[in-house]
Amino acid sequence: MQNTLQARDKPAPAGGPEPEMMLIFRLSGEIFALPVSEVHEILDPMPTTPVPGAPAFAPALINVRGAIAPLIDIRQRLRMQAMPASEQARIIVLELSVNGAATRLAIIADAVEEVIETDRAALKPVPELGARWPEQYVTGVARYGDSLVILLNTDTLFRPDAGPTFQV
Amino acid sequence: MTTDLSAAVETFVQEAREQLEGLEAMLLDLETGTDRDRVDAIFRVLHTVKGSGSMFGFGALARFTHHFEDAFDGVREGRMQIDNRLIDVSLRARDHMTALLDCGGDNPEAARLEASDEAASLLATLAAIMGKGPASAESKSSPARAALPQREVVFRRWSIRFHPDAAALRNGMRPDLLMAELAALGEAEIRLDASELPVLAELDPERSYLAWDIILATAQPRDAIEAIFLFADDAALEITEIFQETQETADTVPTVPTQQPKAQKTAVVPQEPPAARVPQANAGSSENVRVPAGKLDDIMDQLGELVIAQARLHQIAAATKNADLESIVEEVERLVTGLRDATLSVRMLPIESVFGKFRRVVRDLSVELGKDVALAVEGGETELDKTVIDRLSEPLVHMIRNSMDHGLEDAARRQASGKPARGKVTLSARQEGGEVLISIEDDGAGLDTDAICKRAIERGLLAADAQPNPAEIHQMIFAPGFSTASTLSSVSGRGVGMDAVRSAVEALRGQTEIVTVPGRGTRVTLRLPVTLAIIDGFLVRLGQSVFVIPLAAVEECVEFEEAERGRESGRTMLQLREHLVPFLDLDEVFSRPRSTEARRRVVIVKADGQRLGLVVDDILGQNQTVIKTLSIYHRHIAGLAGATILGDGAVALIIDVATLARRARVAQRQIA
Repeated sequence: MQNTLQARDKPAPAGGPEPEMMLIFRLSGEIFALPVSEVHEILDPMPTTPVPGAPAFAPALINVRGAIAPLIDIRQRLRMQAMPASEQARIIVLELSVNGAATRLAIIADAVEEVIETDRAALKPVPELGARWPEQYVTGVARYGDSLVILLNTDTLFRPDAGPTFQV
Repeated sequence: MTTDLSAAVETFVQEAREQLEGLEAMLLDLETGTDRDRVDAIFRVLHTVKGSGSMFGFGALARFTHHFEDAFDGVREGRMQIDNRLIDVSLRARDHMTALLDCGGDNPEAARLEASDEAASLLATLAAIMGKGPASAESKSSPARAALPQREVVFRRWSIRFHPDAAALRNGMRPDLLMAELAALGEAEIRLDASELPVLAELDPERSYLAWDIILATAQPRDAIEAIFLFADDAALEITEIFQETQETADTVPTVPTQQPKAQKTAVVPQEPPAARVPQANAGSSENVRVPAGKLDDIMDQLGELVIAQARLHQIAAATKNADLESIVEEVERLVTGLRDATLSVRMLPIESVFGKFRRVVRDLSVELGKDVALAVEGGETELDKTVIDRLSEPLVHMIRNSMDHGLEDAARRQASGKPARGKVTLSARQEGGEVLISIEDDGAGLDTDAICKRAIERGLLAADAQPNPAEIHQMIFAPGFSTASTLSSVSGRGVGMDAVRSAVEALRGQTEIVTVPGRGTRVTLRLPVTLAIIDGFLVRLGQSVFVIPLAAVEECVEFEEAERGRESGRTMLQLREHLVPFLDLDEVFSRPRSTEARRRVVIVKADGQRLGLVVDDILGQNQTVIKTLSIYHRHIAGLAGATILGDGAVALIIDVATLARRARVAQRQIA
């Protein structure tokens, strides 16, 4: 099934940039979208290894086919409440550039919906939605069926917190 | 054939690069004293590079090297003295050769280099040192010719027949280049002998059917001609001098260049038989196999997978309780361990390979900074993983620059404080347990603690009323951007700061330490793991989690006495026979809920020169641990050295014992 994201107010301008494939997933009652080009694979839930002293944003490690990937909880960045995992919970493995280095990481999702085609140029800027979402982590919002989908800015969302702590 | 050839060229480039690296060290050695062997060795390198260079299409390199070789021939003959001027120009000439080699052959870039001012200046300097005009620098010297008055050039005529073996072309011989080089010696009349060429139907395109007859008129001696064919040993070669009066005909020499016709008065007996040189040049390939580093990395990756698979096998076998299966698994485990050790040992290189480079750095910087500095190197034979060595080179260069630029005072100040005018930088390496310690020590002024402190407060790294101890202050120079402070001449770096050094070392799971004594000098020590890839791990359990302690650090395991546990916090010493050993509860270290298990254990580890107890819930045993580095989100967490995958597929964290030991020491200090 393939839908097309509609910008909330006006249709996509003709001759705009190439449409982009987006992965739609749910997390704690909200709907998010990520560029498919950065998605490596989607896995069933698996045991995780908590990392002591890790930031709440990256609390654990998982084994992705013999490689170790950090498990990221994006709710920490998006000021969302953590909720118990759902039945359809999935782990989305991403491959993207973090601070210039190719990085494989995983995020938790309550459910993965589908892949759709969208046009970034047709997206509305965020401020309309008020302070609900920290704007540096979100590139825009679009209509998705009856609800809104939040497009995540993967450039900023996965950037580690400010510099390393000073060790003795 | 083309692929064969390019592979041969690649091998040449690689070997020549190594030769040139060695040449740098040899030239630097001349500063400490000269003897016949050293000079001969240099001459051999130059001769080999020249000969094989022209063979593989590096004519510009060969032509330039020829002049350089000339100079050392002069030294060999005792006609020239080795002095600083010669060493200077030789080092520059070596750099120029490297640049020519990097061009990858005779291309426009090589032509540009050949015509560059640097080349001209080098040739002029070489000629001047040799006490000749630039013109006669062109002519090859030889003892016989050296006795002749300058500029008296005697042309002789040679008849040369060159007949490559049938397989020569397949082996990468380039007769065209050889002929071109021959023509460059003088006036050559080259005739192709194609009489053996079969009819087209029978022609094997990769086979050589050709021979060449050359009449060459040249002022060069016989060995210059032989040198051209030095590496074309899969051919029959005849070289005969044509005497003007008698037109004496060939005394045939089958596979020259070993024999010298006795009749020739003017012939020069080479210093050593060329036949001895050829094996010398190839010695490396007969006993050693050259492997691209990438292939070693692949083997290592595969081995890592194998180790993990083996751990799973072990676990499953243990569960099935099948004795036959278990004995096979044990056998496999033993083989995997052997394979691991063998693979790791292949990757180990003596650190000398990187230390060697620094002699040049020190020499060049001495000149640049106008400081007389001696470099002492100790423990160059210490072995480290190749990856570690590769990534250490830059931080070490930076630290040496720092030591020389900012650590060492100038001669006047040194003498005023009663030190020898010549500064000293010591580079040393040694192994200690699973770590290699690399130190860079200077006998300079030491760090200016007050100035660092002041600067740290200015930059907000320290509270204005802080009372840090000296060690903490010295660590400040590793803070990002700190060393760029221009006001702090004793520590400021050029370009990148010490923070770059620290992050490079930490990326290798190493640590940096600094010790400084005002007026006496500074020593920076890098502690690095011997290998990055696989270690023997000691598995321990904390609650439901498994952690790995590097086995190399483990000394023994003891029961955790109930009595110890009951004590008030603050008591962090354990009575171990007659010694008191500090201990850390890993639950506390990793902010875990306090364990309620009845029987706990203490793993006694040795790190950072001290013993330390780590309290855990249980000991699970040993395994081979493939170390995976932590992601950018977790890399800076103190006490973790990496992560690994266990036999059951679970991820376990590897404990960084050295960091915990330091932490324990800090805790002890605070209590005391």
